[in-house]
Amino acid sequence: MSDALDYATWAEAVREGRLLGLSCGCGHTNGSPTGACPHCGSRDLERVELPTEGVVHTETTIQVSPSTFEERGYQVVVVELGDTSGDSKRSSGAKVMGRVDGDDVGIGDGVRLSGLVSEDDGHPAPRFEAV
Amino acid sequence: MTKFGTHDMTLAELFAEAALPAMDDAGVDREDVDAFYFGNTLGGTTENDTHLAPKLASHVGLAGVPAQRFEDACATSTNAFKHAVEAVEHGVHDVVLVGGVERCTPQTGIDTPEMTRIFVSAADRHYEQPTGITFPGVFAMLTKRHMHEYGTTEEQLAEIAVKNHAHGDRNPRAHFGKQATVEEVLDSPLIADPFRLMDCCPFSDGASAVVVVNPEYADSFDDTVGVTGLGHATDIVPVADKVEPTATQSARDAAAQAYEQAGIDAADADFAEVHDCFTGAEVLASEAIGFAPDGEGGTYAAEGRTSLGGDRPINPSGGLKAKGHPIGATGTAQIVELTEQIRGTVGERQVADAEVGVAHNLGGDAATTVVSVLEGRA
Repeated sequence: MSDALDYATWAEAVREGRLLGLSCGCGHTNGSPTGACPHCGSRDLERVELPTEGVVHTETTIQVSPSTFEERGYQVVVVELGDTSGDSKRSSGAKVMGRVDGDDVGIGDGVRLSGLVSEDDGHPAPRFEAV
Repeated sequence: MTKFGTHDMTLAELFAEAALPAMDDAGVDREDVDAFYFGNTLGGTTENDTHLAPKLASHVGLAGVPAQRFEDACATSTNAFKHAVEAVEHGVHDVVLVGGVERCTPQTGIDTPEMTRIFVSAADRHYEQPTGITFPGVFAMLTKRHMHEYGTTEEQLAEIAVKNHAHGDRNPRAHFGKQATVEEVLDSPLIADPFRLMDCCPFSDGASAVVVVNPEYADSFDDTVGVTGLGHATDIVPVADKVEPTATQSARDAAAQAYEQAGIDAADADFAEVHDCFTGAEVLASEAIGFAPDGEGGTYAAEGRTSLGGDRPINPSGGLKAKGHPIGATGTAQIVELTEQIRGTVGERQVADAEVGVAHNLGGDAATTVVSVLEGRA
């Protein structure tokens, strides 16, 4: 794991209401920690505080859930973080997968970090809400 | 290969029902087989059954040969196939048994929510699973983005289910061959929007096997089919870190490698078996392997261009959608279908003039794809 960011630090940040990622000289910023840049292989990665607002890149609502999750009918999203229109197929900003409260956001809608989900053996996931 | 469906027998017994007939079909004896390349994805979790390669080798009379197991989610057994072909090509072995087996139905004693949890183990453990995502959910998100960018519709997705069920209806080994209608698909219950129950492949039990031989052996056998191209590529996990998730870039890269090896273009292929774990996955696959222009995978299906009797059929077997999807058996089952189509022995689901076939076997969120090109040997 990269010295710059490991899972435990990323997860603790999610519990504190922050999102951490890694920025690479190749131009990519990634929303999950790695030991080297997944795009170019560089190990020269910088830990960055990611924006907590963004737009919905894609979403779905899960009606048949894994046994770990007792409720069903929750919405899962991939959010493109930062000041973006979300219109480009090839997104440039960091993206993260998370939940959205309610069931009413669509692709291109603005969302902001609102908390976390922690139903899977203590592993946190970011929770968003509509802006 | 076995019929895909529900099987109440051990993994070894089920595998033998595919492997022994494959050896008979190839005309090879136990003494001829140099090695065993095998795929199983979930046996350790679902049945507390690991180290399966030597166990299954023992069961089919191959104890003693080097045996190895591959695991790459749903791309498991074509990864075994790829390694077997390369080993034969490079002279390491002359004759290799390749195959896969899996049991995913409630015959395992595991219910749908628990099997859904087991399947999602192929998604990122730390950055995806805690959201409550499922595999239908992963492909639902890729498909929804495709709908947003290109205007692919739920009706077009339903047309793919109808087509593959109609193809499966002509395949006696299919789990769910039947005539279905677009209305039935659109009226089935939501699983992960836009996918409804009938957009999703079933949980299946089954096994498949092929025998890979070098050209000298092949010349002494009837009805061999040549492997002329193999491509294998991976993409970034998790989905959110992929540059363009809907592109299924690993499939594009694997197809380019396979076509280059075979010395063909996508346009030269006559038919394909693609990894339609969900209807939307067939849209993405048909574009990634060059059977439809980007954005037109759904249109092509709705217009009947990918049906049996259309321009270039996709999934004449019924695909994962109708034939079924016993995870680790799916890849080599595609190779079986290509082989039998090119031999011209599949009866009423025969693709006319099937000379060049393409198999697209995808694992996880398209983190792995293996593309194979098979052609008739003159």
